[in-house]
Amino acid sequence: MFAEIVSNLSLGLSVAGSPEGFLFLVIGAFLGMIVGLFPGFGPAAGIAVLIPMTFGLTPTIAIIMLAGIYYGSMYGGTITSILINTPGESATVASTIDGYPLAQKGRAGPALVMQAIASFFGGTVGVILITALAPSLANFAASFGPSEYFLIIAVGLLMLTTMMGDNKFKGFISALIGFAIGTVGVDVMSGQQRYTFGSPELIGGVYFVAVAIGLFGIGELLHCIFNGQHREPAKRLRVSFRDKEFWPSKTDYHESRWTFWRGSVIGFIAGVLPGSGATLGSIIGYSVEKKVAKDPEKFGKGEMRGLVAPEAANNAASAGAMVPLLSLGIPGSGATAVLLGAFLMWGLQPGPLLIVNDPEFVWGLIASMYLGNMILIAMSIFAIPLFVKFLDIPYVNVVPVIVLLCVIGAFAINASIVETWILVGSGLIGFAMKKYGYSPAATVLALVLGSMAEETFLQTYIISQGTMSLFWERPVSLVLSIILVAVILVPIALNLINRSRKRQSAMQG
Amino acid sequence: MKKWFAAALLVLAIGYTIYGLTTLTLVTSSGRPAAGFFPLVIGVLLILSTAVNLWGDVREWRAARQNGVAPRHLADPEAEAKADTFGVDAHAIDGGPEFGRDVFIVFAYICAFVAIMKIVGALIAMVMFMLAFLFTFNRAHPVSNVIYSLALPGFLYGLFKILLNASLPTSPFGF
Repeated sequence: MFAEIVSNLSLGLSVAGSPEGFLFLVIGAFLGMIVGLFPGFGPAAGIAVLIPMTFGLTPTIAIIMLAGIYYGSMYGGTITSILINTPGESATVASTIDGYPLAQKGRAGPALVMQAIASFFGGTVGVILITALAPSLANFAASFGPSEYFLIIAVGLLMLTTMMGDNKFKGFISALIGFAIGTVGVDVMSGQQRYTFGSPELIGGVYFVAVAIGLFGIGELLHCIFNGQHREPAKRLRVSFRDKEFWPSKTDYHESRWTFWRGSVIGFIAGVLPGSGATLGSIIGYSVEKKVAKDPEKFGKGEMRGLVAPEAANNAASAGAMVPLLSLGIPGSGATAVLLGAFLMWGLQPGPLLIVNDPEFVWGLIASMYLGNMILIAMSIFAIPLFVKFLDIPYVNVVPVIVLLCVIGAFAINASIVETWILVGSGLIGFAMKKYGYSPAATVLALVLGSMAEETFLQTYIISQGTMSLFWERPVSLVLSIILVAVILVPIALNLINRSRKRQSAMQG
Repeated sequence: MKKWFAAALLVLAIGYTIYGLTTLTLVTSSGRPAAGFFPLVIGVLLILSTAVNLWGDVREWRAARQNGVAPRHLADPEAEAKADTFGVDAHAIDGGPEFGRDVFIVFAYICAFVAIMKIVGALIAMVMFMLAFLFTFNRAHPVSNVIYSLALPGFLYGLFKILLNASLPTSPFGF
């Protein structure tokens, strides 16, 4: 087993470590850091907008670069969390709680270095766990039938919507919208055209890249404009690693030695679970660290462990999210849904057979994540002053870059003006969805998984002769069905209990 | 606007379902689900959920009008979830003054950009979009606006057209 992993990894390293692989890995990691830096522009948007830039590459190199953008954004997002109290993306929100107070205390340098080390630690632990778990899970998943796949998709989408607090219901609607868009085109079972309105451009379906770029790229951009980001002056910040105070003290390392491990393991588990991802991972990582600390009162006031825990967690989670994506072909978040879309665009069908059929790709990608984390820690420490300089660019100058990349990128995919208009329409819908509490991530996830959901649902229906008994007759399906019911019923039950408690206390009061 | 968006979703859901019912086969002659089956399931769920959603939004709007309280700022779902977790107002995470007019202007510029792209070519359309955008929102720096409006489209055109060999619309002048 161990020898097999080593041989697979050396195969992967020969792909990721090739001059071309290494070059595009560095470019991806660098772009990921920049994507993470700009508030309101997350990894999903970054990957979607930059997909067209990978056109001239081989599938493996393209995905290595896009994955670099994905986990690179986790490193970049914390720089603004620490320096200006504004998380670059949602997974680094928890890092502001202690990161910014550390900067206020004059410890921005040590905070930036420790976040880079924690990110590297979490990312590396995550990739080691992928190496160990992804092939086993793929072997296990080889026995899955349509009912299991349908239930995994349903659980993933429900978990994603459950994460939306008060907006669960709107998340559910967002997922249904994605499924509805996914039905456009030719039906794979019967060959009948659906919702094409006679347009030859719609026979192949609504191309997910245009919708994803619109919802995430243009939609997020319009939302940032709505919040006035384009009218804000540039942040003038200076950080130099030549300063004596730049490096962390021995106490920082000593106090955080177990935090690295706890954050990484918690983050990885959160990443593997569909729908939860890096944001939840970092929040749980922070909460657990505060709970186990002997001095929880220090948290929130500039405690290094309060920064290390979410940083290790969000990077481990971004690695963990690759496990269901690679072994089951099922993404758990908006960013991994866009990655799945990119896989499909390149003719790669993630799932149990991918590791068997295309080991060079899978192990090349996994090996690139080891290398990527090494590149990112070096970039995160020694190029901090350079990345801080990026914050000098006013957002008003960033807007046209994003618009041009989105529009030209969407057109260039199939040289289709219809798809470009789909991008524009999706952008407006994405803005409205963000503004009114819907979830563009759930829509994209459902759109990408729509055809698979339909196919597996109908297969289950046909095999069980209309009774759907496969959902409870097969052991794995039964467990998944129980989880599905629990995901629906537990929040309702908790809500009812809370209400009755409130009523009781109101009557007593 | 929130309730109007919810209403638009309900109308679209009804349209989607009716169109599916009238144009697609629901069940094959052998009794198996056909091309219209899954869209019907999605359509019915969409109608039910968007109707309940609209009802909730209208109720919220009415309550806000009766109480004379301005509706609370609507942050994005991620910010709402984060705010719930941290027990703070979502507005503190993702909010502040709102610039709806600017959104309208930028969206109009994007539409114009896409509309003229096929006519004047990608390069000229990009330059025109950038000039319009920068001279609307960054008037204080005219010289840098012009340089930026020529340099960035030139770079992107070169990257996509020459390096990536992508197909982009060309102008009557051949570029």
